[in-house]
Amino acid sequence: MKPDLSFEQIERFKADLEKCTKCGFCMSACPVYREEKIESSVARGKIMLVRAWLSGELTPTDEMAKALNKCTLCMACAQSCPAGTQVPSVVTAARADKAGQKGLSFPYNLVYRWLLPRRRLFGYSVRFASWFQGIFLPRTEGSIRHLSYFLSALGQGRHIPEIAPKFLRQSVPEINPPPDGVPVKFTVGYFTGCMTDFVFPELGQKIIRFLNRNGIKVVMPRGQGCCGAPVFLGAGDFKTGRKMADANVRAFKNLDYIITDCATCASAMKDYVKFLADTDERKQAYTEYAARIKDVTEFLVDIAKLPDSAYRVAPEFKGKTVTWHEPCHLGRYLGVKEQPGKILKALSDIKFVEMADADQCCGMAGTFSIYFYDLSKQIADRKVANIQATGADIVTTDCPGCQIQLIDSLTRHGLPVQVRHIMELLE
Amino acid sequence: MIDARQIEQLRKIIGKENVLTSPEDMVSYSYDAMNLWAHKPDCVVLPVDAAGISAVLKFANENNIPVTPRGGGTNVSGGSIPIKGGIVLVTTRINRIIEINKTNLNATVEPGVILQDFNNALTKEGLFFPPDPQSAAGCTMGGVVAENSGGPSCLKYGVTKQYVLGLEVVLADGRIVKLGGLTPKNRTGYELMMLFTGSEGTLGIISKITLRLLPAPKAEKTVVAVFTDVAVAGEAVSEIIAAGILPAKIEFVDNWTFDKFRGLLPDKTLDTCQVILLIQVDGLKETVEAEAQQIFSLCKKTAAEVKVAGDKVEAVRYWAARSAHFSDISSRAHTIVNDDVSVPRDKIVEFIKRGQEAARRFDVPLSFAGHIGDGNFHPVVLTDSRDKEHFARAHQCVDEIIEIALSLGGVISGEHGIGLEKKRFMKKAMDPVAIEIMKKIKDVLDPRHILNPGKIWEDEADET
Repeated sequence: MKPDLSFEQIERFKADLEKCTKCGFCMSACPVYREEKIESSVARGKIMLVRAWLSGELTPTDEMAKALNKCTLCMACAQSCPAGTQVPSVVTAARADKAGQKGLSFPYNLVYRWLLPRRRLFGYSVRFASWFQGIFLPRTEGSIRHLSYFLSALGQGRHIPEIAPKFLRQSVPEINPPPDGVPVKFTVGYFTGCMTDFVFPELGQKIIRFLNRNGIKVVMPRGQGCCGAPVFLGAGDFKTGRKMADANVRAFKNLDYIITDCATCASAMKDYVKFLADTDERKQAYTEYAARIKDVTEFLVDIAKLPDSAYRVAPEFKGKTVTWHEPCHLGRYLGVKEQPGKILKALSDIKFVEMADADQCCGMAGTFSIYFYDLSKQIADRKVANIQATGADIVTTDCPGCQIQLIDSLTRHGLPVQVRHIMELLE
Repeated sequence: MIDARQIEQLRKIIGKENVLTSPEDMVSYSYDAMNLWAHKPDCVVLPVDAAGISAVLKFANENNIPVTPRGGGTNVSGGSIPIKGGIVLVTTRINRIIEINKTNLNATVEPGVILQDFNNALTKEGLFFPPDPQSAAGCTMGGVVAENSGGPSCLKYGVTKQYVLGLEVVLADGRIVKLGGLTPKNRTGYELMMLFTGSEGTLGIISKITLRLLPAPKAEKTVVAVFTDVAVAGEAVSEIIAAGILPAKIEFVDNWTFDKFRGLLPDKTLDTCQVILLIQVDGLKETVEAEAQQIFSLCKKTAAEVKVAGDKVEAVRYWAARSAHFSDISSRAHTIVNDDVSVPRDKIVEFIKRGQEAARRFDVPLSFAGHIGDGNFHPVVLTDSRDKEHFARAHQCVDEIIEIALSLGGVISGEHGIGLEKKRFMKKAMDPVAIEIMKKIKDVLDPRHILNPGKIWEDEADET
């Protein structure tokens, strides 16, 4: 019997697939190749595997899936590609066609198709799983094959913050106006990613307070859910991804701006149109949605145009040395490169030190770090060395995913460096 | 063909995590940076040290298994393609920078270090390793030496062989031999290191390299000049050299890749011109300023547009556009047939004119680019291997360009090596006695011909 060989998504990115000339310029850029040093790890190798799959020379075996999954989608290859090949798009599309041809394996199918799109239920599952965090979950060194719950799997052997006792959505109202006497200059929607909602709710509260104090009314629509990154980018499940995208588009319907504190969520949502727009309506809705999404630092610097005096460091961080890790999704995907530095430099009571290779991937990359925890740790070790070289007390970033990775890595190395979201630094 | 038992033995020899056998991995090691050849190996081994290379070679030699050495696999001559199957031995996991010594002005590195990583480490120390193949972001030091790599900077600074001080090499039978040393002067016996420098993996596998370094130039300046005609540009190059200036690099690209310069140079110029010269001078700040001005004035006489890059950022953008040439050309055709001839500098203009005439005669698109300053050209014919008739014409054109280069006193390969690509020209390009000596050397070092078989020599020679 001839297997179902549909390359619906790859076909959409065929130009990228064909652009690659195998020159190998991606080799010194790729964080995975840097560790593994095998051809199937690097962008060029993945392109060649996908070509061989399309030509029928290879089939979507577990090995193929592994090679496709072994990519942090950090975009460093695309940045150094003289032909402009968008390898992350090809990898994402290939994951989708692999999922289409072979289906998702248990338990990912359950988690992605059923649990993640149901925000409240997902929250409770996470809470339930958190009870067992550290009791039943062994420290594993290999890739984790049988995780029971997506987020709790991050806890396997990792030093991560506990699941918050109270989620953000349970602790703040839907509408958060500025305090009395402060006029409303902007009204924004606040997209809280899963991490902020479940793990770092105090970050969310801080962001809302900061925005309010500066005349920005914050709406946190209850209908919002997961951005979908692990589902459509990680697992290639575009069908479920569309459901999640549609829900978010509905939730933020009448808001001028959609602010995020997570670069991954922001860029995943901006990519709805690239990967998930299967109809003209969706294309239009996703395009219009993407235009309104702003990273919080981008919004503060470029749109709200707050004066330097608006940024004051919270008392607990006064006198500290601070460095900055640029999330891949912030710099390379959203193109937000200068704004965080502008805020950090405006903070007069800290010493800001730039880190070498600040824009290199930390190795988190969502599902990647669950599939390949050891590899993820190796990538992170280089980041840790760069952080250590700055002598900073605090490493700050703009993505709770990166934060978890940095906390885990610094703790593993026994380093007393705090990890903070850039917005946490502010008073 | 390797059997399952032999693969099991290889796993025992260097660890199962360093032996790859999946169909996916075999595809991954079947190609280089060209589309002209592909052949899958039977298995891939990635030793982590010289002892590992030695153990694999000893085993392969005893069992008559072909071994194709590979670094980054960014070569363009077919050198790393396992054309006879067998084992691909990849050195990328042997990748420490062992020492960078500022006093001795040398560095010792392992073969799997990526050239760009090496350059980054040297920059921090204010040091400089001049050879700069355009594949620096992926190629490895072992490959740089085994291919005797060149690049733009070779105009002033020479090619890799001018920088090799010492090598550790694993021979076909597994013996590890140390050659050369740490000092820039060394007159001990024959220059055996030079046998392995440029040997394309046919004589041994390089496991450690000591390189001579230079202090990094204090300043650089880039001049960009656009010409309406390739021959006029060639004359400008001659004038620069005649004026007693030796720039670090004089490069050129033709209008096939002008798109990469959009936004950097006026559209009107790009639309009407044929060739861009990129010239970089380096040295002390004062010298560099004066030479850049002198070059500016010389080019001004015949160029449609001349600019001195205002700052480093602008210069980097020009050079990035130049670096993108090969990949840009490659992406414009299904198949490209690339050439690497080198001609004496006083024959540059004649060579270009005759090359263009050949392309017209064979009716194939030809892009000229390369290191015009030292006469090393990369003419590229754009074709499609699926169109047999066109593909044949493309090959005829390239063959003729090689003949032209030879007739002008040039060589068939300036820096890419012979590999699979140019072996059919070897007899024409080399003295028969020299070929005989080379074959005898091969027999001494690799009597069973397990190392990179099918390369450099024509097949019948390979089988003797």
